Amino acid sequence: MKLSGFKRELCGMILGLAVLAILPVFIQDTYLRHLLIMIFVYGMVAASWDLSLGYGGVFNFGHLALFGVGLYTYALLTKQLGVDPWLALAASGGAAVIAAGLMVIPILRLKGIYVVLLSFAFSQLILQVIVSQSDYTGGNQGMVMVPALKLGDHNMMRDKKLAYYYIALTLLSACLLFLRVFVRSALGKSIVALRDNEEYAVSRGVSLGRQRLLTLTGSALFTGIAGGFYGGYFRNTSTDVFGIDLTTLILSMVLLGGRATIYGPLLASLALTLLSEATADIGVWRPIIIGAVIILVLLVYPGGLAGALTAGWRRLSAMRTPRGQGAAINKVAS
Amino acid sequence: MPLLTVESASKSFGALRAVDGVSFSVEPGELFGIAGPNGSGKSTLFNLISGIPFGPDSGRILFAGEDLAGRKGHQIARLGLVRTFQRETAFDTLSVFDNALMGATYGGKGPVPEERSAEALAFVGFAPADFDRKAAELSVYDRKRLMLASALALSPRLLLLDEPASGLTKPEIEALIALIRRIAATGATILLIEHVLTVLLALSQRLMVLNEGSLLVLDRPDVVVRDPRVIRAYLGDRRHVA
Repeated sequence: MKLSGFKRELCGMILGLAVLAILPVFIQDTYLRHLLIMIFVYGMVAASWDLSLGYGGVFNFGHLALFGVGLYTYALLTKQLGVDPWLALAASGGAAVIAAGLMVIPILRLKGIYVVLLSFAFSQLILQVIVSQSDYTGGNQGMVMVPALKLGDHNMMRDKKLAYYYIALTLLSACLLFLRVFVRSALGKSIVALRDNEEYAVSRGVSLGRQRLLTLTGSALFTGIAGGFYGGYFRNTSTDVFGIDLTTLILSMVLLGGRATIYGPLLASLALTLLSEATADIGVWRPIIIGAVIILVLLVYPGGLAGALTAGWRRLSAMRTPRGQGAAINKVAS
Repeated sequence: MPLLTVESASKSFGALRAVDGVSFSVEPGELFGIAGPNGSGKSTLFNLISGIPFGPDSGRILFAGEDLAGRKGHQIARLGLVRTFQRETAFDTLSVFDNALMGATYGGKGPVPEERSAEALAFVGFAPADFDRKAAELSVYDRKRLMLASALALSPRLLLLDEPASGLTKPEIEALIALIRRIAATGATILLIEHVLTVLLALSQRLMVLNEGSLLVLDRPDVVVRDPRVIRAYLGDRRHVA
């Protein structure tokens, strides 16, 4: 039986998530589970950024501000207003979508470096609002004792992070499904069309403003939810999420993973988090080594890790093709 | 009532007046040619009519009696005023089918965009086996055909073709002429810019020549090519006839 492209992808996705679902049976260590949770969170943010940057070609450098909006929405709603953590988690996605909608207005008809500058300025504006409202947000000090997520009477502090692992995995699954359905839809193709040739796409009836709005709000949804989850997981907030360090890390994941792939940034989140852990003891050499590895991978495989995997799979398929058949294929191709 | 009426359309870039008070109208079902030397304002005129990427500084453009002032490019395309571009433009990373689907989904009318895309692709000569190919893999002529298919997928009432024959070989030009004739035979109104005079003479019912942004001559093609003003615009005053 031959499956269609999307069904095959869906089967692969379910298989991958099933493997991740049984992983805690073998990984009992709390810290390793924590690392996996962070991989899922960063993977959600990076894959969502890939929607606007990779597929849409919009150089939105305010993406991490949407993560920050989700984080502070969760913290403010739960701590200052006593809202249920799960409602606050959903609201964190909604708030990020609204923030992305506001961010679109000034960058609607801009291109390239101007989008970078304005989206970065937008991110700094949100940071300044948070810092200025220190009575509620804790200013530069951030907020502590943020209410955690709750699962009935289950004690999430004493389960070696098992509950948080599954919550993060569920959110990641929903995020991946949302992004893949988005990019495979006519809407997803239209944002690629705008990236490929803006004037041509407009001449075929594609609205630049509407599609850009949907691209950025679509990329904001799970970024905000990831921010909300981050708040419930760490139980504190910090304005560091608006800083250049986290932006650089997540952007590295998008580029190393391979633009316009969705799965690539998730893969890069895994690779960079593990590499970062493996080099934790070598001090200042750590960022140098990580940077060198990223450059090396992108030099050899400009399509990133997803490109490397695709190339590997093609090579494997070619090796499995019977010799005579391969020669016949080559003859036809030539 | 004319399908398209252009009234004193003008566009300037700084001190350069690219289109200078051009007026003309196109009747439904007409194949209307536009010629002129390089820099005469032909493509700029297409930009003004289609609103992509800009409309006129002054003057009016009426499509089926409706003033296009203030309408965005994608809205004008959805009215059925559809253009192609001088270069063989395509969405390179999308498949042949998805290229056509963009027009059918966002600019076309009717319930099944996939069917209209397949029909448009078949009309210009693509076989179903080509539908999954990436547009970037296509030859220049195939990309031109694909651009036409994506325009036809919008079911256009007025088709603006900007130098469709540029960069093509002689057999390809002949095939293109036959294709444009088939499009015209469906009742479509076509506005055709072309440098290759044989294409314009073979297809146009009326021919307009622009020079330095202004309308020089508008008449039947056989009359236009003999007009001394047109010969002067193309060859200059001090031509030598052997």
